[in-house]
Amino acid sequence: MDLGLFIASSGMVAEQARQDQLSNDLANASTPGFKPDESPKHSFKQVLLATSSGEAAAGSLESGVGLEGTYTDMAPGAIRQTGQPLDFAIAGEGFFAVQTAGGTRYTRDGQFTTSAQGVLTDANGDPVLDQSGAQVKVGSGGSVGASALGVFALSGAHKQGESLYAGSATGKASGTVQQGALEQSGVDSTQTMVDMISSLRTYQSGQQAIQTIGQTLQQAATQVGSIVPG
Amino acid sequence: MLDGLYSAASGMAAQQRELDAISDDLANESTPGYKSQRVAFGDLLYSELDDAGTTTTTGAGAEARTIGRDGAQGAFIATGKPLDLAIAGAGYFQVKLPNGQTGLTRNGSFGVDAQGTIVDAAGNPLQPPISLPRGVSPEEMAIAPDGTVTAGKRTLGKIELAEVPSPDHLLAAGDGVFEANASSGAIQPAAEALIAQGTLEGSNVDVAEAMANLVTTQRGYQLDSSAIQTESQMASIANQLRP
Repeated sequence: MDLGLFIASSGMVAEQARQDQLSNDLANASTPGFKPDESPKHSFKQVLLATSSGEAAAGSLESGVGLEGTYTDMAPGAIRQTGQPLDFAIAGEGFFAVQTAGGTRYTRDGQFTTSAQGVLTDANGDPVLDQSGAQVKVGSGGSVGASALGVFALSGAHKQGESLYAGSATGKASGTVQQGALEQSGVDSTQTMVDMISSLRTYQSGQQAIQTIGQTLQQAATQVGSIVPG
Repeated sequence: MLDGLYSAASGMAAQQRELDAISDDLANESTPGYKSQRVAFGDLLYSELDDAGTTTTTGAGAEARTIGRDGAQGAFIATGKPLDLAIAGAGYFQVKLPNGQTGLTRNGSFGVDAQGTIVDAAGNPLQPPISLPRGVSPEEMAIAPDGTVTAGKRTLGKIELAEVPSPDHLLAAGDGVFEANASSGAIQPAAEALIAQGTLEGSNVDVAEAMANLVTTQRGYQLDSSAIQTESQMASIANQLRP
């Protein structure tokens, strides 16, 4: 069968996955500390084409395209002043640590609150940790000093949802904590919209290629070898 | 296929939630003691797609929820009315709700019912209750910063202010009244709060900030709706393939 059909469809599948990621980025355009995902494309293995006699190689052809894994763009986002005493942002590198039921997780979203026990928690109610791994107490009047929060460097960070990252902490990071501020989402809505349009058109080109190859195959199936009168 | 359609839809729902909170804040811009809401956005679960040795991660969208209220003091508005009370510092007035629970409110717009009992704007009596003796008008009443209520030389009672360890988790019971629960912690006396008589605490809604948030929210909603349209167009393109 014609290899071109499968090459074009692999491109469409890759664009569909890319489009889903772009939708997720746009949905999180207001999520504090959110980092957008990137998925570069790579071509599949080259295949050798043989001549019709089957003896000599006629050259090589890429057999399609796929996504080369997902990378999260960890560049620090802009910091917005909110004036809320329990909003924190990290200027520079690093993560806040929170103690979840599944172990320690990390986040750049510093929109925190207090628990009935008087400790600082994230929006899910998980306690925020200081640099030594202990819970952070909220002082009288509901205030916490920015220096009480731990900032951790993280290796192998990957997203877990609820603004949390899993990974292993490798000590203190260089970033500093700012109080009364939130790090804005790293999603550039203009760039994401442009990526979306570009991805849509690539998808459409794949469909056109399939259409064209389909027509060629149809002609091969119905017209080759027919006897033209006259 | 079409996961993005649903993640964009979840983004629209989250922006809608934020819009509801902003509308609530703006509508209560003139409500005494009203505190503006803090809305937290977060991303949702990620699914991993393994394909030929590479892993592609796709998120399921966003969510938003109110995680508490801005505790900042509202502006003091002098009204000169004897039963208009404002709290300076962290604390709440305690009232007895019809269901028997203790309600907490910072709306200090009090009045006197037919029996002479001091009640809040919704008719809930102060707790512990304070009543004016027959023949004493509210104008003769003096309320000290520590809450002691006197009329002439007679002490009528004391308004006791309360607070909870985690005000963000108080449950709204309507009419600006909140109820304590397990997440907020038990009611305890407010240590540092003082009462100002003849004054109301205005809301702490910052209209300019709310309007700026309104614009951001509307744009976020539009972006998500464009994402839905693009996803729909892709489905339509796939649909045009004919054998």
